[in-house]
Amino acid sequence: MATLKPPPVQHRSASPSRTPTGPPKAPLRADPTATIAETAVFQGIHPVSIGAGTIIHPRAKFYAYEGPIIVGDGCIISEKVVIGAAPNNPARPSHAPKESTAAEPQADASNQSDTATRLSYFVTIGPQATISPGAHIHSSATVEALARIGRYAEIGSHAKVCAGCEVGERNAVDEWVVVWGSGLGQRRRRAREAKGPGPAVVVAAQVAQAAVPGPAPEGKLIEDARLMVLQKEREVLGRMIVPAGAGKKK
Amino acid sequence: MSRPFPYTYVSCPCADTPVPDPARKRKSREGSQKQTPEQGEQTAGGDSKDSTNNEHKEDSDEEEEEEEEEEQTFDPRSPRSNFSMYPPEQLLYCEDCHQIKCPRCITEEIVSWFCPSCLFETPSSMVKSDGNRCGRNCFNCPICTAPLAVSTIESVTGGGSQQGPWVLSCSYCMWTTLDIGIKFDKPTNIRSQLQKMTDTTAAPPFDTRTRQGSRAFADLKSPLSNLASVDEQAGNREAPSDQHITKQDQTATPSNAEAQFAALKSFYRNQISETSTSPSDPLGSDFGFSSPGALNRLMSLYTSSTRLGSLYGGNKKAKSKPPVMREALTPSEGLRISATPNPDPVISRLRSAEGGWDGVASIAQRAEQSPDVRFTDDLLPLPVLLRTKRAKRCKACKHILLYPAAVTTAPGSPSSTSAASAPSPNPDLNALTPLRPIHVLLTLKNHMFDPVRVTLATPSVTPGRVASKVTVLSPQFDIGANSDVWDEALQGASAPLTTDPKLRAAEKVPEAGKVWDKGRNWTTVVLEVVPGTLPSSDADAGGGDGEVRSGAGSAPAQPDEDVLEIPVFVHMEWDAEGQLEQQDVGKASKPDDLVARELAYWMVLGVGRIQPSF
Repeated sequence: MATLKPPPVQHRSASPSRTPTGPPKAPLRADPTATIAETAVFQGIHPVSIGAGTIIHPRAKFYAYEGPIIVGDGCIISEKVVIGAAPNNPARPSHAPKESTAAEPQADASNQSDTATRLSYFVTIGPQATISPGAHIHSSATVEALARIGRYAEIGSHAKVCAGCEVGERNAVDEWVVVWGSGLGQRRRRAREAKGPGPAVVVAAQVAQAAVPGPAPEGKLIEDARLMVLQKEREVLGRMIVPAGAGKKK
Repeated sequence: MSRPFPYTYVSCPCADTPVPDPARKRKSREGSQKQTPEQGEQTAGGDSKDSTNNEHKEDSDEEEEEEEEEEQTFDPRSPRSNFSMYPPEQLLYCEDCHQIKCPRCITEEIVSWFCPSCLFETPSSMVKSDGNRCGRNCFNCPICTAPLAVSTIESVTGGGSQQGPWVLSCSYCMWTTLDIGIKFDKPTNIRSQLQKMTDTTAAPPFDTRTRQGSRAFADLKSPLSNLASVDEQAGNREAPSDQHITKQDQTATPSNAEAQFAALKSFYRNQISETSTSPSDPLGSDFGFSSPGALNRLMSLYTSSTRLGSLYGGNKKAKSKPPVMREALTPSEGLRISATPNPDPVISRLRSAEGGWDGVASIAQRAEQSPDVRFTDDLLPLPVLLRTKRAKRCKACKHILLYPAAVTTAPGSPSSTSAASAPSPNPDLNALTPLRPIHVLLTLKNHMFDPVRVTLATPSVTPGRVASKVTVLSPQFDIGANSDVWDEALQGASAPLTTDPKLRAAEKVPEAGKVWDKGRNWTTVVLEVVPGTLPSSDADAGGGDGEVRSGAGSAPAQPDEDVLEIPVFVHMEWDAEGQLEQQDVGKASKPDDLVARELAYWMVLGVGRIQPSF
């Protein structure tokens, strides 16, 4: 953490300074309140935008070759996360956009919106996770360590992809669904509303001639609590990563 | 073998058969020529003693045993020896029997049960009454089996007060008890709270509940259970029993799985006792179900042959019909009919968006739950299974070898050995060149507090078709006592032990009759090994003497025949403090209460794999 420095936001957002030798630097447009580690990598020809309060850990890689990358507010992108695909990735989709022949990098506007990689608000990405281009991760979702999100996959809000799990190409994970297990894994819908007591409890209460216990609080409570903890984590993380430059930035 | 080279295995004497195996003797006779004079004597003796077991130093048969040991070379390739070889760390030493004990010579007994999650020990009485699950707050997630955490809802959403409802939550799959609509009022004793919520017997808390429940159901005996056979009861079934059943159904139907099990158990126990002690059955009156009489009765029930019938049952007609054990008929006896006569709600739930494939509990999830759980919404958190701590006892003398609480490191056999690889031209142990001598350093460590005199012996040529020549350069040496580690450091300031052994090894030359190196409680000796040639290539390179001994030299190489394994016979002597004057061996006891002890065993050094030459 000590190696993290305040992001040279102004410098980076100046222009896609293409050096003839190195890979092209992606034009970065970051919110001033975002915390970006110095060793994070931004490559590609499409713009990368980082929202307010987002924290990007060291050695996260953004490859904006196939389309822009849009990261919303309050996200946490952990170490060694790969968002997008490196340019010479042989695993190009064969049936991906129609214009995917040669003009793809300089794609027109319609294609751009198609392959844009989007992370909405309060998304948490665990270490070494891979988010393929075109994926859309909705707000408050969690992608844990080493998980892989396929191209054009859709992760619903408040969903969770557990560590090491995989979401295939063009697959969708619904809202409030947990993908767990290994590989493609199993899915489970989280309780969002208040649930009535289970049949075992009801039967027991009938036998005991007691009142059935009232409905438990909504499952949303737990998620609210988790988001609050996440908010706190982000605050602390911002302070730890930017010890001196924090005041200057705010 | 499965271990990386070099490895050591110690042969436990327990594997040797009491019956001498002639085939094995012949093989070893062929293996070592110098043993031939003793053959006749040995076969004449023909005793059933273990060939390598000489841990008991008895005056009378000491002579015989030693001769026997000299006679037989342990063959690591013999099929039998596979069963006796153990890595040294798996072996224990019984101080009463003065013997090496392998896992087969040891009995395990459960010392205590503990929860792997909270580490609290559970007394065995609790385990018997409540099952082997943690009775505190330790639960596993019913979805993904990760441990659940007890967390409060209020302190996060409301103020910081640690009041308010509590839930169990899984940090992996984000399951909480709110998913099944359960919250807890206190953060302690969650299991009894949960038991109260799901308990259908309406009883006191769970620690006394199961016992009381079973007794209650045992008392609730239907009048039917008095009747011995179904035939007899058929007539008078309607009038009294039906009304009884309906009455009972209202009061106490065991809808809990445990209560149902208890009811069924007591029902069948009654049935067994009634049918087997019925006076109408001449055989069953004397014997229970586990006796040969019961088998006879079964035979006579199932056979239609008159011959068998006359054999076992005598005259069939003359005998009255044996009582038949009936099945449970009422819910109070444990009968359970599927609770959903109308499947429509289940089907509609399956088809709804809420249920569907993801909402149905998997087999793995249902295995631990009540049998009629279908959906993930019905799964209950599972208390953590307990684990056991076990003590190890010697099978022969019941001496405790290992007690779990006191043990930090397993006390191995008194001397554990470790082979190290050769000095300077450091060969690749997975590809030893045939006929090129290598030096193997063998380090013996002493874990006892007495100094030990060691004698090593190897056959000059390894048994098997690949004959490698082995020479121990210093077969007799001493190992110091396992004294305090600080002794060495304090007194040996000038000793050359501080130098790097690797450095010294580079300039040292192995010398016959000298130990290679020596430390506080260890000694290193050198074995000179000339790997033999593999049988497939020995036609041209056959320099070694007698590598084709069994006349089957042209046979294809067996798997792992190229592994160079050296049997080493280790014999050690030490003076131990005499304890309890047990069968004091007259000539061995020293004036100052020291008793000479000795231990001998075969050991196998796996040095490496011989390269097929050229």
